[in-house]
Amino acid sequence: MKRLYCVFFVAVLLLIPIEQIFGAVGCDLNDPDRDVARLFPSSTGFKTDYVSIDQRGGPDLLAQIEERLGDKFKGLFETIDVPYTLYEVFKGRDRIGYIHGVNEKGQYGGIQVFLVLDLEGVIKGFYFQRLTSRYGKQLRDPEFGEQFVGLTLKDFYNYDVQTGKPTGPSGVEKIKNPVPEAEPDFRAALRGTKKNLILVDEFILGNRYLPYHQSRGERKP
Amino acid sequence: MIKILKVAYKNLLRKKTRSGLTIIGIGLAAWVLVSLLGFNKGYESSLNRDIDNLGFQMIVTAKGCPYEAATLMLKGGTGLRYMPGNITEQITKEPEVEAVTPMLMQAVFDPNKGESGGYSAYLGVDPATFPGMKSFLEFMQGAWFTDPEAMEAVLGYEAAELEQREVGDLLLIAEKNVEVKVVGILKRTGTQDDGTIFLPLRSVQKIFGVKNELTGVGIKVKKDADMPRFEEKMYKLPDVQVVSLSQVKQTIMTLVSTAKVMVFSIALIAILISVVGVINTILMSVMERFQEIGILKSMGATAWDVFTLIWVETLILCISGGMIGTALALATAKLTEVLVRQLLPYAPSGGLVQIDLSLVILTFGVVILIGLLSGVYPSWKAGSVRPLEAIRSQVE
Repeated sequence: MKRLYCVFFVAVLLLIPIEQIFGAVGCDLNDPDRDVARLFPSSTGFKTDYVSIDQRGGPDLLAQIEERLGDKFKGLFETIDVPYTLYEVFKGRDRIGYIHGVNEKGQYGGIQVFLVLDLEGVIKGFYFQRLTSRYGKQLRDPEFGEQFVGLTLKDFYNYDVQTGKPTGPSGVEKIKNPVPEAEPDFRAALRGTKKNLILVDEFILGNRYLPYHQSRGERKP
Repeated sequence: MIKILKVAYKNLLRKKTRSGLTIIGIGLAAWVLVSLLGFNKGYESSLNRDIDNLGFQMIVTAKGCPYEAATLMLKGGTGLRYMPGNITEQITKEPEVEAVTPMLMQAVFDPNKGESGGYSAYLGVDPATFPGMKSFLEFMQGAWFTDPEAMEAVLGYEAAELEQREVGDLLLIAEKNVEVKVVGILKRTGTQDDGTIFLPLRSVQKIFGVKNELTGVGIKVKKDADMPRFEEKMYKLPDVQVVSLSQVKQTIMTLVSTAKVMVFSIALIAILISVVGVINTILMSVMERFQEIGILKSMGATAWDVFTLIWVETLILCISGGMIGTALALATAKLTEVLVRQLLPYAPSGGLVQIDLSLVILTFGVVILIGLLSGVYPSWKAGSVRPLEAIRSQVE
């Protein structure tokens, strides 16, 4: 019997299709039941929705998102067909917020930037679900994540993700990099956050923050 | 014959609901049968394909069950057991061996990777022999390592997607604080290779301080080799464990056979129920038309004519059910696959349910046979009706 287990283990190790190990490479919460309850302690349930830019508007929508982001979607894996997982959180019948994560390219590996948002798109929580960095400890420190709380997409419009510098008054200025050497991962976190907020605005909030982009923060919604 | 077909068809239409339900019953049985035979075919060919894609037919690992080693490793122990590097030379000497490739698997724990930390595994492979054995691997970007001791990595498609890596990017081996450069990204294969991070064997030995040690050796055996004899020889090597892929295949098939027996039993029951259903439907139809058959015979129809008419009715029911069942099986093949994957302890990549023309013909053969057999008794009963008796029963 032991030998049977051994052979079966080798078989599984060698032959198991990889989806069973990694799952679909989108950006899902590791344990949605546990994570939603932790991020929204008053919640009683949640709804999961899978969307892609391709489904929602195709190349035109991608162009609009890239324009709002101020950068092109890059590389092999930041593509139009990436599935995004949106969690709508409920308390009883009332919707109380959203959770959304995106994959971002870090210096040494993939970074998963998750945002906890209220119904207005205001950041209530920020955390890395996945991070490979020499400075992972400092970037995972709750103090770093707390700097994002209270910001909205409006605060990110004057942040240039390509140069990593503000182009005007920007709420991003208050976010400090805990380790100067972690600059590539710090910038990846900010780009991931801006991308995340734009996608939520496009997919859920009905482009509530688009006028800010068009007038670069001069108008209020 | 055309007239008989027409009459039989019209007879069945007289009781539409009953005929329809009987057809559905046969259809369901045919559906189960086609899906099951399709699974039987698909599973084995997918398993064979996965095993062929491994590039070798036998693996030699250090003594001690790899299951135990992996458990130890995942629990944070030192875990892995090693074999001396010179074992490849001993194996290569055997006349049955076409090629060998040494491998060294290592894993590190990064406390900051996931919310509660996470493991990353690296497979050290020999750049001189591994690519030759895995000749089916194609690159999406880049190529294999530039040097046997280079600090370079080749990533399977899923691993690269998860780590968002491209050629030229860096990869950090966390615990060792070592950077390696990504030089190649493989195309998707649907196998374990998709999630693997490959490094040159000597680099892994150097990084992890396990010089001249291996965790496994992949062996490609010559086509005409006597496998059982060769396996015996390998077992005689000191402190190694031998796992041949034919053994792996046999083990998987044994585990899967339990599920197969269960489903075959369900199919058999479904077929038996549909046979009884057909006999019942046709027999009721014969009883209801008792007088009518009597009149037919008194008008000159022979026993064989009546027998044929009833038999054709049975065949129409069975063929219609067979067509519906086959169409249903084709339409729901993907769904069946999803369900089967949930049920089985291990399912290979690729299509698990393969329905082709030969399978459809086979199913139709079975369904027609069921029709012919289940139609015999009602047809004989109808054929043996005595005209006078039948007409008298009408008068009464």
